[in-house]
Parts: sequence; C-alpha cells; structure tokens
Amino acid sequence: MAQHVTERDVRGIAEYTRIHLDEDEVKQMTVDLNDIIESLKPITEYDLDGVEPTFHPIGSLSNVMREDVEKPGFTQEEALANAPARQDDCFLIPSILGEGGDR
Amino acid sequence: MKTMEEVLQDWEAVIGLEVHCELTKLETKMFCGCKLEFGAEPNTHTCPVCLGMPGALPVPNRAAIQSIVLAGLATNCDIEKHTMFYRKGYMYPDMAKNFQTTQGPKAFCMRGWLDLAVDGRGAKERLFWDDLAEGETSENMTRTADGYTAHVGITRIHMEEDAGKMVHIGGGEGRIAGATHSLVDYNRAGTPLIELVTEPDLRTPEEARLFMQKLRQIFLTLGISDCSMEEGSLRADGNISLRRRGSTEFGTKTELKNINSFKNLHDGLAYEICRQAEVLEEGGVIYQETRHWDPSAKRTIVMRVKETADDYRMFPDPDLAPYDLSDEFIENVRAKLPELPDQKAARFAADFGLSAYDARHLVEHRFTTEFFEAACEEAGDSARDLAKPLANLVLNDITAYVNANEGVDFAATPFTPARGVQLVKLLAADEISSKQAKEVFAAVLEDDKDPQAIVEERGMKQVSDTGAIEAVVDEVLAANPDKVEQYKGGKTGLIGFFVGQCMKAMKGQGNPKLINQLLEQKLN
Amino acid sequence: MAGTNFATMGIREIQAGLMNEEFTAVEVAEASLARIAEQDKDVHAFLETTEEQAIEAAEKIDMVIDSGLDITVIGPLAGIPVAYKDNMNLQGTHTTCASRMLESYVSPYTATCVRNTIEAGAIPLGKLNMDEFAFGSSTETSAFGPTRNPWDLERVPGGSSGGSAAAVAAGLATVTLGSDTGGSIRQPGSFTGTVAVKPTYGVVSRYGIVAFGSSLDQVGPFARSVEDAALTLNAISGHDPLDCTSQPVDTDFTANLAEGAKGMRIGIVPAFMDAEGLTHEVKVKVEEAAEHLRAAGAELVEVDLPNAQAAMSAYYVLGPCEAFSNLSRFDSVRYGYCDPGHKDLGGQYEASRANGFGPEARRRIMLGSYLLSAGVYDKYYYPAQQVRTLITADYTRAYEKCDVILMPASPRTAFKFGEISDPTSMYLSDMFTISLNIAGNGGMSMPCGLGADTNLPVGVQLQSPQFKDENMFRAAAALEQVYGKAPVAPAFAAKAGE
Repeated sequence: MAQHVTERDVRGIAEYTRIHLDEDEVKQMTVDLNDIIESLKPITEYDLDGVEPTFHPIGSLSNVMREDVEKPGFTQEEALANAPARQDDCFLIPSILGEGGDR
Repeated sequence: MKTMEEVLQDWEAVIGLEVHCELTKLETKMFCGCKLEFGAEPNTHTCPVCLGMPGALPVPNRAAIQSIVLAGLATNCDIEKHTMFYRKGYMYPDMAKNFQTTQGPKAFCMRGWLDLAVDGRGAKERLFWDDLAEGETSENMTRTADGYTAHVGITRIHMEEDAGKMVHIGGGEGRIAGATHSLVDYNRAGTPLIELVTEPDLRTPEEARLFMQKLRQIFLTLGISDCSMEEGSLRADGNISLRRRGSTEFGTKTELKNINSFKNLHDGLAYEICRQAEVLEEGGVIYQETRHWDPSAKRTIVMRVKETADDYRMFPDPDLAPYDLSDEFIENVRAKLPELPDQKAARFAADFGLSAYDARHLVEHRFTTEFFEAACEEAGDSARDLAKPLANLVLNDITAYVNANEGVDFAATPFTPARGVQLVKLLAADEISSKQAKEVFAAVLEDDKDPQAIVEERGMKQVSDTGAIEAVVDEVLAANPDKVEQYKGGKTGLIGFFVGQCMKAMKGQGNPKLINQLLEQKLN
Repeated sequence: MAGTNFATMGIREIQAGLMNEEFTAVEVAEASLARIAEQDKDVHAFLETTEEQAIEAAEKIDMVIDSGLDITVIGPLAGIPVAYKDNMNLQGTHTTCASRMLESYVSPYTATCVRNTIEAGAIPLGKLNMDEFAFGSSTETSAFGPTRNPWDLERVPGGSSGGSAAAVAAGLATVTLGSDTGGSIRQPGSFTGTVAVKPTYGVVSRYGIVAFGSSLDQVGPFARSVEDAALTLNAISGHDPLDCTSQPVDTDFTANLAEGAKGMRIGIVPAFMDAEGLTHEVKVKVEEAAEHLRAAGAELVEVDLPNAQAAMSAYYVLGPCEAFSNLSRFDSVRYGYCDPGHKDLGGQYEASRANGFGPEARRRIMLGSYLLSAGVYDKYYYPAQQVRTLITADYTRAYEKCDVILMPASPRTAFKFGEISDPTSMYLSDMFTISLNIAGNGGMSMPCGLGADTNLPVGVQLQSPQFKDENMFRAAAALEQVYGKAPVAPAFAAKAGE
C-alpha cells in the first residue's frame, strides 16, 4: 500500500492539531491514516476537469446577513460558568510561552 | 550602525504594510449581536457565537460588509462580487473557535491604490526624486513642484474578525515572557476587522508613515472606525526587505508586528533598514522572522522565526453563505461616500485659491480640516480673502499647539473657528502684528476670551498711524548716530536693530511693516 | 390512568387523552420518566433525564387544559414526551456528545430545534446516547458505553443517533430528535424499525447542534408513525435567523399523508439493488416495499445515480475536514475537559485533547487536518466539492423521471457488538445514505418488516428532491397503510403491558 503519511508527518499533524500521541499511538495512527487515505484514492482519479465545485448543498444560498442590532448575550457568570479555571472574571490559562506568541 | 541616509545610498528598502482596522463605529460584532464596547468589564459582551460554544453559528453583520465596500471604494479598489468566508485554523486561546473567519483568495476589495504626496523633510528620505523634472515619472514616483507623489498599490482589503484580549501575569510588564499564566477576555472577540494589504510599493519609512496617516484620514472620513492606534483599533504590520540599488529581486523580509503609532512605524522601519544593512554588509543572512519594535530601547527584537510558511488549513466556511453582491448593493454604498480628503484638498485649492501644498496639508488631520472648513464657513463672503491666513493659522499655530499637547482635542478648546476668523481679520486689517497674533492665539486658549477682547484688554492694538511711527523713527535715529553712520557705511544688517528699538519704544505695538518702510526711506 | 400505556401511544392519542382528561400531562411525564428509570437500564438510550424541565413543561400544558383551551393552540407537540440526541444544546442540561471532552459541559443556551419542540408543547425527557461527536454507525464509540438495540440487546442500534432510535423503538419516548451527517438518522432508523427522517439540508436550523460536518449535518425526527414524524418536523422546521443555511420552509408535512401512492413515480436504482454487500434479506424486503407501492398505484421507474461511488469518497473527505475544524474549539479554555496540572498551555492543550477525545474523534481530526494541509487540499478537498456538483446533477436528472427514489437504508440489519471493528467496513454501512447528504436532499428510513434471516427490522429508504420532503412522507404514509405503524420492539412492548 502506498505510504501517504510517514510517522514524522503524523507527529507534525499531532502537533498542529494539539493532540498528544505517544510513540505507539503514532505508529498506529500512521497505519490507520494510510489505510483511510488509500481508501480515498478514487477521488483523485475522477476526471473532474472543468467541473465547478459546489461548496454548499443549497446552490442558491447567498448574501445572508443580519442587521447591525444588539441582541442579548450571556451574563458574565453565564460566560464563565463552564470555564475549567477562572480568575478576575477572565478565563485562566497556564503560561502560553511557545504558542507562537507573535500576535 | 550606519544612519539610514547612509544605508539608502547603497540599498533600496522595499516596504509593504498590512493594516488592521476595527470597525468600531458599528453597534455589534461581526457574526453575532453582541455589543461593541471598548473597556467594558471582562467577558460581559459575549454569547454562544463569539465564545465559540459548541453548536453556535455565525451570521454576518450587513453594516460591516457595507463598511468594507465603502473602504474599498474610497481606496480605488475593485469590488469583488463573488466572495466567500474561509476558516483560517490556528489554535490560540484568544481565538474562541480556534479558527478565524476571514476571506480566501478573493476579498471583497481587490486591486486598489492611493497616491501619497511627499514633500519637505519627508521627501529627503527618498533618493533621486529631485533628478526628475516636474511631472516626470520613474517607477511609482512622479516629481511634483515641492516633492514627489508615490503611487502605492493596494492588493486587497478583506473582512475578518478580531481576537479576544489576553493579560499575562507573573512576567514583567504584562509580557508573555516569564508569565506563569494568562487571563483571557473575549469582549473583543468577533469585533469586525478589515485588513488592508499593500503591494511592496513603499520605499521609505516616511512613505509608510504617510500611507498610514492618509488611510487613517480616509477611514475617519468614512466614519467606519475611530482609528485609535493607542486603543488598538488601527494597527499596522510592516514587511521590509533590502536590496542593492539597481537590483529588481526582493530580499528576505522581516515583519514588524502590531505597531501602535505613526512614529513607531517610522522609527521601527528606519531601525530595521539600518539593522538589515549591517547584517547584509557583514555577510550575514536575514531570517524571515517577525520582530517587535521596542520604542524605549530603540531597537527591534525577534519574536518568532518562520522556518516554513504557516499552514492554516484554509477552506470555505460551510456555515456561511457565499456572497453574490448586487450592483444595487454596491451602488447604495457608493451613494454614501463622503467627500474624501483628496477631493477636499482639490476643492480647497479651487474654491479658496490655496496652493496645492497648503490644501493637502490641511486635509492631513481631522482637526486641521474641520477647523479650516468651519472657519471658512464662518468667514462667509470673505472666506476666499481670509483663506490663506486661516491656512497659515491652522498649519502653523494650531498644528504646533496640537503637536505640543499630545492627545488634545482641539475642537474642545476655547479657540473656536469663529475666534480664528476674528483673529485673522485683526491681522489682515493690520490691527495687530503677526507677533501679537501669536500672543493672542495663546491668550484665547488660556483665558477663553475673544481675540478682540484680548487685544483691547492688553492694549495691543498695532499702531499704523504713519505720523506717530515717523516720530518714533526719528527719535531712534537721532539717539543712535553712530549706528546710522555704520549703516550708511554698508552694515545694512543694522536695520533689525533699528526696528527693534522702534518696537521697544512703541511697546511692541508698532506696525513692523510701516516701521521698516520708514526706516529704509530715511536711511537710504 | 392506571393501565394507560403511553409507551406505545402516538401524538394524536396522547393529545386526545389529555383533552378528554383521561390523564394529565404531568402523569404522562411522570410515567415516561418512571419507565425510562426502569427499562433504560437494558438499553442505555439516555445519558441524562431532565425531570425538572419535564414536569415544568407538563404543568404548563395542564394549566392550559384546565383553562378550557384546546391544547393544539400550544403547538403540534403539546403534551408529547420528546428526547434529544446529546449533541443538542438544552440550557441547563449536559450536552456531552457522548465524549469525555464535554462530560462536564452544561449548556448555557438552547438549540433552535430543541426550543421549537418545547415551544410547541413538548415534554423534554432528556438527552440521548450517540457515537462520540456522531463519529460512527453503531453508538459503540460513545464514551459512556453503547446503546443496545431494543430488538436484540446483543446488537447495536446503529448510529450515530443510536440513542434516539432505541428510545423510540423501546417506547421510552414518543418522538426523539437525531442528526444525520452521512446516514446517522436513517441507518439507526432501519436497525430499530422506526420512522427516521433526515429532511433537506436547511429545513431545520442547525443552531445549537454541536457540529460534525457543517455542510452535511441535518436534524430530523424519529417516531413510530409517519404522522408523528411529520408533526414533529412541522414543529422544528422553518427559517432561523441564527443559522445562515436555514431556509424559510413552511410546508405542512402532514398535508398529503392521506393521498396514497397513486400516480407517484417511484425511482429505483438497479445498480443499488445489486450492490455488493447488500444482504439478501434486505434486498427482498426493499423490493417488496416497492411492489407494495406499485400495487397502491405508483409507477416504478428506473433511474441512475452514476456517481454514487464518488459520493462515498467525497463524504470521507468532506466529513473529516469539516469535523477537524469544528472540533478545534475544544481546547480546555472556555469549557470542556481540562487535563489538570499543566504549567504551560501547550501541554494542557495536548493532554486535554488526547484524553478528552476518543480514538475515532482523534483519527478524524487528524485525517481532516491532513486533507486540508497545503498541497493536499487540491488533491482531495477540492475534488470532493467538484464531486458534489456531479452528485447534485445526478439527482436533478433522476428527479426529472420520479418523485421519490427508493432504495435500502442500510445494506444489512443490525449487527452484533464488536462484529464490525475494521473502520473501513464500518464505513460501508453508509453506502446507501451518503450521496443524499452530499447533495443536501431529504431522505427517510421507513420500516418494511423483518428480515427473513435475522428476524430484525429492515428499513426502506425513501428520498425526495431538495425541499420536496412532502413527497417521501406521502410514499411513506402509503407504505404505512401496508405495514401498519412501527411497533415498539417486542421485548419492550411486553414490558409495556401489551
């Protein structure tokens, strides 16, 4: 079977999707993903030249907008109620160093 | 490190800007009905949508789409009728859905441009423009009477949403470095944001600064944003690379992130030009990286090295309908276009006989434009006659005052346009000297009184009675026979001495023009 | 009320009983909750029951009846016990998506379709088990244990809306809501012998439904009669300003139920009836159903859906891509599972998502991320959207010749737990359902008797053109004339006192 993704690729994907995989899981995920990607092969083989893509099942859907009018939202308590950790009416997270802190 | 002037002899800087502007004038967020409000209590303007709750769906704000189309029309863009929103994926805690809803390859506004008039000291940063004859063009630069015009392409303006805000705790001065944890407030999350990307057409930090200033003026005129660089509703990233003069290839660029003032934009880019030149001249390599300008240390520091291009897994957002903007929609927006700064400048020149220089500087800032317009209206029929002294008042005294008092709202000072007209009329009628006018200007601001009242109160009326002045002139000449001899012997510079003595004798109220005239008559 | 068997009653029967004061809505609620407490131990359809909200809603209904008003003024579901797939937000309830990731999440808001049922008078009984985040066809991937098929507790109820199907089949609710991304309503409907409707994309608002594949997901009802399904769809359909993709549908889906099949053109796809993997017993029952419609005056016509195979591939590209993006919001910051004790956010992210998501969710997220990555996007995602164009055109051509297309809902009857473990063959059970989601059309599974080999329910799938869902309802009602209303599964019917 064709190797679509290597273990190294899978580690990269795991890093991007922020899902920790241990080494055994990386191996298994590599096998699984290669299996699935192989099963998708037909999509790469159709002659789709000149076929426009349809991004929405409802073809006529367009220009849906709302008016610029305020609507009631959450109270502060409702907003924070599900927070795993909170402090000073904010969501509390541990140090974000290394999270591409350029923004 | 060499100075920028030295560097630019050998190197050409290639600068492009990415400008983010929050549409603060709207009532609600981009994709939900939460109120837009700066400085509210944390997490008090949220809902399932902007908090990224499971199951929530976005619905775009029509007024935001109208605003971006307005911005596009005002910057000479083509309005792209068929566009889609895309999801741009990256996990970062201030982005509630961990993807940003933004636009794909096609933005609402494409292929625009702005022309920048560069003159005075600012023009000196660009080399060789004065080799051109007036009206002659080289690359994107056309020589004008007092500088040059730079033609700057706008790649696109797209619609997106802003992120929430984070406060970092445990490190120094709220920095990420050293912080042990952070607090996230999603009030700002989902604020309608437009991003304008320029072509790499800018060549000097001054051009970058002027572009931002002009853009800000346009957006303020459109009324789509408060454009506050301090509060972050207008932000700029600058991409900059160097290449040897004569080369047409681009060098490796660095990106200066989140610059929050015009001065920092100029100074950060100027520093980067010098830093990159030093690295390159020493045989080093420029890394593609994002850098932060630290104004207090006066240097840029690395934030992140980009080893590979970011892969955001962009794809069309299936929750949002594609756009197929009608001509009617676009024309309805076009009908709302106000008079733009360039059009206003042309009108000032035509209606009031101002020079192109005065006219374009009058429209550079809101306070200059508004004051000048209101004063001209106040002046009524005499507006055309008073326009030049009013322009001088605005561009010299008022501008100096505003520059010296950071953050002042000039429209809120006691120096109203009506008082401006009064002052200029006193000056035009030779009732006060221009030196006295400056004193009156300061006094109006200080005492909140009409110029007329201050002049009377302080007995400042200028003496323009030729008889009275002649008497004083005669007195002064008689009292200084030696100086008169010297003058006649060729030391004509002594005229200033005589004028000073006359003014002193007249307690500063003599008309300097007349004193000069009489002195010259009598001495020659 | 002693001896009143709500478990097997339909909407009209319950409402008549309420109006005739044979019983009260509170009694309906209490009896339903009691039955769940007793019977659901075996089935495990429910993840949570909502006693307080049920009683509160029932009391309101009783007040209306006491005031002498007709309860239908409240709405089509007045007094009816309803339960919801656990990917539907109902304020104050847990909405777990059967995942550890959302085990402690309490909905701060209510999904539009859920709100619509409650505003129509429904008595909300609780939240129903499913495959984790709707990734599966058996409800085995639920982090809280599988749901069992009321027809045979050794077998799966199908999925991902397995809890919604099983609850109706076991008589634990009159109607339930499920969601269908690639067959997640119709396949469990087929496995449990229930009327299971996936309407046209856009008929029901998706606002408040935890998204799997945003361009594919659609909510629909499970019921034991065509009329109950239609009444429920009446209550939940229509435009929602909170969902850009919802449409202004004001169809009365009960309107043509009595018309019969006479004059209808029923499309059959010959290639589908000979498809590899289609079991003989299912084929026989589905062909019988077609013959019944012919006997009732319908015309059977052959149609072709030549790109159905491509639809499978497109689905397995689009689904994971959209799921990857939709599930990126689960990050341990605002809600959801947070792995404790991390000093940096990166570690907290990675451990929370590794431990919060089950294996199938992790696999689909990673697959989607790969398929959307630079250079790969053009190879899979873009062609998948081109295939959508082909599928839509296939259907348009087919529907020039017919009003409804008839085919199996699933190639086989319910399988045993653990019987299918290989992900790829699990995917095969979606072969008849997927094209529809790609095109956004409506489809439903209608019980058509028991398979001769397994003695388990078989569902015939009726499909209709976009926003012509009334067509399939009409054909389904004609079939119901033949088969009768869907029964409660025998073991549970016995327990209900039948």
